[in-house]
Amino acid sequence: MNILRQIRIVSLINFKSVRLRLWRSLVIVVGMTCVIGVLLSMLSLTKGMQKAYLDTGDPGRALVVSTGAQSEGNSSISRDKARIIMDAPGIAKAPDGSPIADPGMNTGIPLARLNGRKSYINLRGFGPKGVMLRPEFHMVSGRMFRPGTRELIVGITAKTQFQGMTVGDKVILPDGEWPIVGSFTTGDLLDGQLIGDTETVMKAIRKSSYNSVLVRLETPQSFAAFKKALTTNPALSVDPILQSDWYKKLSEGFSTFFNVIAYGIGGIMAIGALFGCLNTMYAAVAAREREIATLRAIGYGAVAVAASVILEAMALAVPGALIGAGLAWLAYDGAQGSFNSSIFKLTVPPALIGMAIVWAVAVALLGGLLPSIRAARRPVVEALRAT
Amino acid sequence: MKYLPLVWTAVMRTPMRTILTLLSVTVAFTLFGLMIGLNATFDLVADRARADRIFTEPRFGGIADNGMPIAIARKIAAMPGVKVVTAVNFVPGYVQDPKHPVFLVMLDGNAEKVVEDWPISPQVWSALRNDRTGIVMSKSQAQRWHKKVGDTFTMISKAVRRADGQNSWTFKLIAIGDDIAEQTNGYVFGNYDYIDKAKPVADQGKVNEIDLLANDPATAPELAQRIDRAFANSATPLQTTTDKMARSGKDFGGLDVKAITHGIALAGMFMVLFLTGNGIAESVRERFAEFATLKTIGFSDRSVTVMVVLEAALPCVLGGALGVGIAALLARQLPGLMPPGFGLPLPTVSPLVMVWAAVSAFAVALLSAALPILRLTRMDIATALSGRT
Repeated sequence: MNILRQIRIVSLINFKSVRLRLWRSLVIVVGMTCVIGVLLSMLSLTKGMQKAYLDTGDPGRALVVSTGAQSEGNSSISRDKARIIMDAPGIAKAPDGSPIADPGMNTGIPLARLNGRKSYINLRGFGPKGVMLRPEFHMVSGRMFRPGTRELIVGITAKTQFQGMTVGDKVILPDGEWPIVGSFTTGDLLDGQLIGDTETVMKAIRKSSYNSVLVRLETPQSFAAFKKALTTNPALSVDPILQSDWYKKLSEGFSTFFNVIAYGIGGIMAIGALFGCLNTMYAAVAAREREIATLRAIGYGAVAVAASVILEAMALAVPGALIGAGLAWLAYDGAQGSFNSSIFKLTVPPALIGMAIVWAVAVALLGGLLPSIRAARRPVVEALRAT
Repeated sequence: MKYLPLVWTAVMRTPMRTILTLLSVTVAFTLFGLMIGLNATFDLVADRARADRIFTEPRFGGIADNGMPIAIARKIAAMPGVKVVTAVNFVPGYVQDPKHPVFLVMLDGNAEKVVEDWPISPQVWSALRNDRTGIVMSKSQAQRWHKKVGDTFTMISKAVRRADGQNSWTFKLIAIGDDIAEQTNGYVFGNYDYIDKAKPVADQGKVNEIDLLANDPATAPELAQRIDRAFANSATPLQTTTDKMARSGKDFGGLDVKAITHGIALAGMFMVLFLTGNGIAESVRERFAEFATLKTIGFSDRSVTVMVVLEAALPCVLGGALGVGIAALLARQLPGLMPPGFGLPLPTVSPLVMVWAAVSAFAVALLSAALPILRLTRMDIATALSGRT
């Protein structure tokens, strides 16, 4: 008899008897549900945050920060240097011939979170080219701030984490309160930030130098020339970087951290589930002892029997993992999340669900292997005689 | 106790099941120990936070800015209710490559009074004052940079300008101190005076943070508000908080540590509850006739209950103890396993964590035993003996 056909028949007989071992079989299902539920819930944060960072970076834009700066916050670019940077070759030009470049500022503003704890929100400055640089920027309600006036606009998701973030609210800055006159969306990290007129905000917070310069590149190829012009200019000590690379770099830092935690915890739980799986499958093999011996006696091979045990483990583990993934998806996919001053949507992408299935198959393979060997090796006569 | 031989026989009837259950429970409690231990660390930090300590920093502008004038520290020192003030400067930078960030805290001569709870001896403080380029590192930082006492430590800082135009700083490691729970990345500190005088004149006399003690812990929150109000309309508005306020609540970058750790620990418990519950139900089912015999020869419902509970409790309690023990060992190894430079506190397997683990282990055992016990107390002895169940 064909081995695949054997495996199919033995497995079918096997699955029909799972009902008799229902509660014990559920141990595997529940185990995998817990493992994957916890793992994917944790990863939904990393994935969501990563996606928001990657969405914010555009390979058509380049960011210039001071040499070695790890964040815009600890980068500093003086006004005269910003002028030199904006004159560099490779920058796209506006219809009036001026470079599409914007020296920007970025600072943390202390605010209360919805739960009352003090935290910081990012206040970003837009200059005259701020909007032209970002085609993804759209006003949602209210109006744009007027340059030169002490007004702010707020991203649409800021209010999901911070108090007082709707149009009409006021934000405390060094010399008085600034009204929020409009709300905007960019579909990325900026949605959780405040924006004001760069020069006006800098004057208010007594900041004399910019944090960074953002430019739109003429073509993706012009980055090389742009970079060369800046890095070879002895008057500057700056790092030009594609904006997409910049956000990728930023996201790598926290991704590693959260991944180590998530996979560490998920791994520990998976080991626990693996022992549960071994337990169940040994019991299943013991319960089917005579059935297996009978099958072997009438000519079914040891491989078919062993395979049926592993397939049973998989048939229980994979649905368990899918339930876990489903629960994590229901609870967290699309939910608002936040870490430090970043606000983003949690996400459980299909890739994670695929990974959940891989984990389930792996646990089932490891947890089914030893019991399947025992099942296949049991001397037929002895097993038939057993009561 | 007299039931122990009976329980032992029952447990060892299926050694494979017992061992696998035990391993599963051990793993779940390892996770439990780490999670509840992490929670305990946040509690510890909150407890250690001093009610009379206050931190103040510029409300606007980041570390890249030079800081605020040191005159503010003197003004605060003159305010009523202030006991002692220390000026703090930061030197953010890296060792060799920006990928290896390091953060130095420069403290002035009053620091030892303000942070007197740090595990730094008076001898070390005075040695630091006598060596301008001296620094003190926590064990974890010393380990990270492979430094021992007497070594030189060189770092690059682009954020802090030097008068000589260089951007590398060289320090001498004069002592290594114990780590502190709230300094999750470890610490490196040196002399404020040294760093200040090495800057260009225009950058001198600036501080990034001012730490102080209030005369009376009870009035510290009010003092913090008073400081904020006093500087609200100055060139440098301040952001002042008490140590207590900054460290209370279980918050890691806005994440609710308590909810997350409890959720994970609970998921682990649920997983083993299902497993142990099944195991004990199966064990009772297999030995139903035996229990009927026991009852026939005069065992009361109570003694049968005790036996089943003991049988359920054995792997739970043993696994719980093993798991929490492993968690305690793992917690010590974590700094080596985690990517460096991230400030997640280490779990502390405190006595309270052990108590919670014990409570949970018994709860799991009782819950797993509940249904089988119900079945046993309601059993019809005659039917059970005949094996017709």
